[in-house]
Amino acid sequence: MIGFEIIKSGIFTLLQDRGRFGLTHLGVSNSGVMDEYASLIAHKMLGNSLEDNLLVVVFGNIELKAHGSTVLCVTGAKCEFFVNDVSVDTWKNVKLNSGDIIKIGKILEGQRVYLAVKSGFDIKKEFSSNSTTVKEELGGINGMQLKKGEFLPYKSSESCINNRLKQNFIPSYDEEILTLRVVLGYQEDNFSQEEKNKFFSSIYDVTADFNRMACRLKGEAIHSSLDGIISEGICFGAIQIPKNGQPIILLKERQTIGGYPKIGSVLSIDCFKLAQRKVGSHVRFEKINITDAQKKLKDFYNIFKNE
Amino acid sequence: MQISIASVDSVIIYFSKEISQETSLVVKRAYSILKELDKKDFIEIIPSYTSILLTYDINTYDFQTLKKYIEELLCEIKIDENEEKSIINVDVYYGVDVGLDLQNMSDKTHLSIDEIIHLHTSKLYDIYAIGFMPGFAYMASVDDKIAMPRLANPRKKIPKGSVAIADNQTAIYPKDSPGGWNIIGKTAFELIDKNLESLSPLSIKNQIQFNSISKEEFLSQGGVL
Repeated sequence: MIGFEIIKSGIFTLLQDRGRFGLTHLGVSNSGVMDEYASLIAHKMLGNSLEDNLLVVVFGNIELKAHGSTVLCVTGAKCEFFVNDVSVDTWKNVKLNSGDIIKIGKILEGQRVYLAVKSGFDIKKEFSSNSTTVKEELGGINGMQLKKGEFLPYKSSESCINNRLKQNFIPSYDEEILTLRVVLGYQEDNFSQEEKNKFFSSIYDVTADFNRMACRLKGEAIHSSLDGIISEGICFGAIQIPKNGQPIILLKERQTIGGYPKIGSVLSIDCFKLAQRKVGSHVRFEKINITDAQKKLKDFYNIFKNE
Repeated sequence: MQISIASVDSVIIYFSKEISQETSLVVKRAYSILKELDKKDFIEIIPSYTSILLTYDINTYDFQTLKKYIEELLCEIKIDENEEKSIINVDVYYGVDVGLDLQNMSDKTHLSIDEIIHLHTSKLYDIYAIGFMPGFAYMASVDDKIAMPRLANPRKKIPKGSVAIADNQTAIYPKDSPGGWNIIGKTAFELIDKNLESLSPLSIKNQIQFNSISKEEFLSQGGVL
């Protein structure tokens, strides 16, 4: 068999792609990669389809053995990365031969390391996606995080485009305060100008309550005139304001409907940046209008279009 | 109808400010219209009690164009009272061994357990929303006599298949889950079935009829106590 043998799985390594679409009417989460920038760059460097799958490593400490040749590209969080115990740069293509041992040790800066191979892993999709949603037991291998001894098949590939991402395209994940641009919407009319001013002028901390579903922040409490709302659809980046006034940003594995008031939504490309922030880091909000927001989003995806 | 921005690529369409059966019918009709267009650039359509969240492809529509398009499309929704309803029958074993809150409900409502069962099975329920977890359908309205607030202390684990009541809503837990609803019975009916192309036999457009069955029938249907 051709593929990776998992020697060490790490604590929570997941197979992901861009997500599972078209089932939210049944309460099925979109799931998918949290940081589309890092993951799509990996696919683009390998000449993959943007819909291909890859591995997401969140706590490091994984070890894989290649059976058959392929090309590997590791992006995302800065980490210790070794091929046959030799330290290798990330954000570049690496040719792998049969027998090579790949290790990701400690994560040094950022939260999520993406590990992609040429053409993705050959694993059957579940409801049109490989994205793993553990709580729904969907995607990945048996709907679970990877385990030692499992096998990730890929197609043997000899050709290696010698790609290395230019330094200025490699994001830094440790800037002091991350700015999240916000499109106001949903129940924004129920937040007074004063509350909005507080929201946009305060600095919030990323709390430990941060996972694939949501990121809870801590800082200046803001309040709306609403106690709760009738449950309604929640989109990616939606900012819920529960009674305690502490914002919750809903991310890829969010539930599909909910009853907390929302002031608007974080621009998706800024949610990708948030996905790399560590507990205790700081964020602030900045207003963006819908026209500019849509332009920014288009510009973002244009990077990945094939020339 | 009011269309508001939800995010860079989503809008939320509000049909009313209050929950009612009529509003729910309007939501369902609008949902059908949007679904039947079968548009690739409508990425997600999430119907709920009084609204629909629509995620769209911003390469096809900007917000203003989409808003105008939806307004024209949904401006004159007619509810067809005679529209054929597709009823799903759900067999429930209402025993105190699985209906963990039946006795408590009986004490509080001064109704016998048989009366509670009778009231729960004598109505056809509409689905108002599906969410919380895959296949969890919020159905209403149960008879006022058995409407019951959520438990003060939610359970850490409600077993899969539990049939439950919270206020005037009723639901079936599709899998084991924490929850605060009052459990009155259990069914072997599967709400999530990976063998189905649609993943679930339910859609928001179905109506649900609960039927009371014996413990023996429940077990023979594959039910687990």
